[in-house]
Amino acid sequence: MSKAFQYTGLTLSYLLKTAILIIFVFPFLWMISTSLQTYRETLSYPPTLIPALPQWINFVDAMSAGPFPTYAKNSITITLSIIAIQLLVMIPAAYAFAKYRFAGKNVLFSLVLLAFMIPGQVTFIPVYLMMADWGIAKTLLPQIIPFMSNAFGIFLLRQYFMQIPEEIVEAARLDNASEFTIMRKIMVPMSMPALATIALFSFVSHWNDYFWPLIMTDSAAIRPLTLGIAMLRETEGISNWHIIMAGNVVLVIPILVVYLFCSKQIVKAFVYSGIK
Amino acid sequence: MASIEFVRVTKSFDKQEVIKDLDLKIEDGKFTVLVGPSGCGKTTLLRMIAGLDPQTSGSVLINGKDVSRIAPGQRGVAMVFQNYAIYPTMSVRENIEFGLKNNKVGKAERTELVESISRAVGLYDYLDRKPSTLSGGQRQRVALARAMVKKPSVFLMDEPLSNLDAKLRVQMRIELIELHKKLGTTFVYVTHDQVEAMSMADTIVLMNKGVIQQEAPPDRMYRQPSNCFTAQFIGVPPMNIAELGANGVKYGFRPESANLSAEPGDELFSLRGRIATREMLGSETIYQVRSGSGAFMIKCREDLFAVDQEAYVGVPADKLNFFGPDERRIEARDSSYRDYLEALRGQRHG
Amino acid sequence: MDKKRLGELFRPYLMIAPAMAGICLFVLYPIIFLGYLSLYDYNLMNKAKSKFIGFENFAEIFSRGDFYKSLSNTVIYTAGVVVLTLLLSLVIAVWLSKKSKFNVFVQAGIFTPHVVSIVSIALVWLWMMEPNLGFLNYVLKALGLPPSQWLQSSESALMSVILVSVWQGIGYYVLIIVAALQSISPSIYEAAALDNASKLKVFWKITLPMISPQLFFILVIMTIGSFKVFDTVKVMTGGGPNNATNTLVYYIFENRTTNIGYASATGVVLMMIIALLTFVYFRLLSRRVHYQ
Repeated sequence: MSKAFQYTGLTLSYLLKTAILIIFVFPFLWMISTSLQTYRETLSYPPTLIPALPQWINFVDAMSAGPFPTYAKNSITITLSIIAIQLLVMIPAAYAFAKYRFAGKNVLFSLVLLAFMIPGQVTFIPVYLMMADWGIAKTLLPQIIPFMSNAFGIFLLRQYFMQIPEEIVEAARLDNASEFTIMRKIMVPMSMPALATIALFSFVSHWNDYFWPLIMTDSAAIRPLTLGIAMLRETEGISNWHIIMAGNVVLVIPILVVYLFCSKQIVKAFVYSGIK
Repeated sequence: MASIEFVRVTKSFDKQEVIKDLDLKIEDGKFTVLVGPSGCGKTTLLRMIAGLDPQTSGSVLINGKDVSRIAPGQRGVAMVFQNYAIYPTMSVRENIEFGLKNNKVGKAERTELVESISRAVGLYDYLDRKPSTLSGGQRQRVALARAMVKKPSVFLMDEPLSNLDAKLRVQMRIELIELHKKLGTTFVYVTHDQVEAMSMADTIVLMNKGVIQQEAPPDRMYRQPSNCFTAQFIGVPPMNIAELGANGVKYGFRPESANLSAEPGDELFSLRGRIATREMLGSETIYQVRSGSGAFMIKCREDLFAVDQEAYVGVPADKLNFFGPDERRIEARDSSYRDYLEALRGQRHG
Repeated sequence: MDKKRLGELFRPYLMIAPAMAGICLFVLYPIIFLGYLSLYDYNLMNKAKSKFIGFENFAEIFSRGDFYKSLSNTVIYTAGVVVLTLLLSLVIAVWLSKKSKFNVFVQAGIFTPHVVSIVSIALVWLWMMEPNLGFLNYVLKALGLPPSQWLQSSESALMSVILVSVWQGIGYYVLIIVAALQSISPSIYEAAALDNASKLKVFWKITLPMISPQLFFILVIMTIGSFKVFDTVKVMTGGGPNNATNTLVYYIFENRTTNIGYASATGVVLMMIIALLTFVYFRLLSRRVHYQ
């Protein structure tokens, strides 16, 4: 193989990879570009790639099309509450499943696995009726408490706990540590990577969730951002793409910024969840 | 300071009895080594003392007090694990004082204890380091310090040296002996390595398949093994044992008890054979001698023979051991001992 | 003393209690409730007027054309997504599997859509696929190809939705396959090279069997995930045009307020399909897939 041939091959490979990269990144760039265009610019042909003058006003318009501060507050409240509750529920459960022997353990754990496989798309009708029955349909709770037990998280954390040598727990018992102390001072610090993975996962999936809030909410006061943005199409009319994209940017940017700064950790977290 | 006693202790795992009706008394202040092949139940015994795997039936007494229902952390014992079981997320200091904190020891006293202990084991400069930055030997010291700081009445050690390289192991062996001398506490030490047992123990407890084979100081264990198992477990190479050919009795002798010579000697037992293998180890040479009645390992100070050469193995009467058909030792005072000696004399050059 | 022992006995149950309560309350009980609802002509306003009708809802499901339409849409969608994603992600992953900074960068880029809300993705693509002003048709025209109606025509709508789903999901699968490829010990390839095996042969006989567990995992989660498709459809097409993109979950969603019993029965059918798929997959898994 000649050197020239090798170089051409290498360049070609780089070019193709860049092309692929563009296919996956361009729509976001176009979203940002549109969000800064005037209405006229969005109608032009060929399409405007770079707006003549960034129209920051679009964001103001988008945000005044609905109670966006409320949506944002709801999104944050819901996501953070879910993560906090899940961690509190998950850690002791995973510890018990990993390090204790008790009657019925396998049956109970298979229930966790079963829960892991049943999607919300199957259970949403009865859960909604339950929430209405309990009289909490008009609060944020229906978007939070159904996720209190993160079956995937319990499974992942249990795997992680099981890898912690039994001797470390025994050494702590010999050091007269209570089970709570063992959990708090030993198990949790040692499984920080797994906990971060699970929390990150929860954050991404609940921040982005559309289906569940759509089912559970019927008023603006309890809607999260995803719904608010999706509703822009109805409130702004389907041709006001610059406003819709401006709203979309508001929804996407927090996640993209997080992703930009810790893409390595996020990528690792997702791969880890897939390999196990 | 405490003695330990097992009274009719049975331990089962998943309905399978690994130890049955075992009685054992470990003396106060002694360095006792539990030794045996893997799966013999030595670690199980240790863990019963700690309370990590409580016995199925019978009782374990520490200082005469039944501890069966006392939690591991309140038995006044400390344990050093084979993999050290250091808390990886805590600094060396936090590792050492974790037990003190759990026992609600005041801060000032804690700091003082941690510092004096860490000085004693040479970890003072590493107190704020994370265990992952320490070498194997240093981690071992953290584990030791963590045990020592609690001032336990019993030290339990589960193969603590097996993860160290050979050189460090020898050094730590000496340090542990010195530590025991200094503290004067009861040490219970588990190992599968008979060299470790011989070099460190006041008393060796040799186990096999959940049963105690012999309980004796190292020298007696070596010179007067109470059965074939002991004879062949202790010593490298192990004792040569062969059939006497009468009443199912066996005779045995240590590799270094035999003399190897080109001409037959006047020892009670003499045997003609051929050198099959030769391992030159420097200060000594180990030959395998094959003869009509089996193969024998002979350890010599001098390196006089070559492979395939013919040689005579001679063993004096006082270096011979006899074991009955039940593999138990036949003592010299036993009436049949003399008969077996004569029988062996009759087999000269066989 | 005995109190303490009792406490020790109950401790693990106490520790898993909150988790199990959540699972029972929000997964297991709802399933039973769903089954119950599916046997009723349920009246949301006045529960007293609800009527037990046995399996009538199920009979209705299997006699209605719109159910079969949504089922076939879902099956086509699933098949399309699974086949396209598997092939493309395999090709891209093999191509990006060498450990280099640029490859990692490209992987992270391809993965970006996966961390973004489907709502955003759907909105962006809705705009990209706009027939008159959209960027896609501009590109097609620039390349001299005929423009498409994309989501606006019942012929291309489902394909368009599939395209968006593949685009969104592929990065995750590329990551998993790359990780699988990188975990294959290089000594196996060295051995193959010494045996003078061709590149293609190495791929078919070594690489593919070695990563088959991960491929299988991908197949399972992708199929089940695709059967639940909803968000893209809701935002991009609303099931239209002319029911061309109406999928099972969307179908249930549409019926959830007007006919709860019927929607629940459809939910039971969906659950059965997912259970069946999982079961079949794991039966296959125990036979086919290579494990080290």
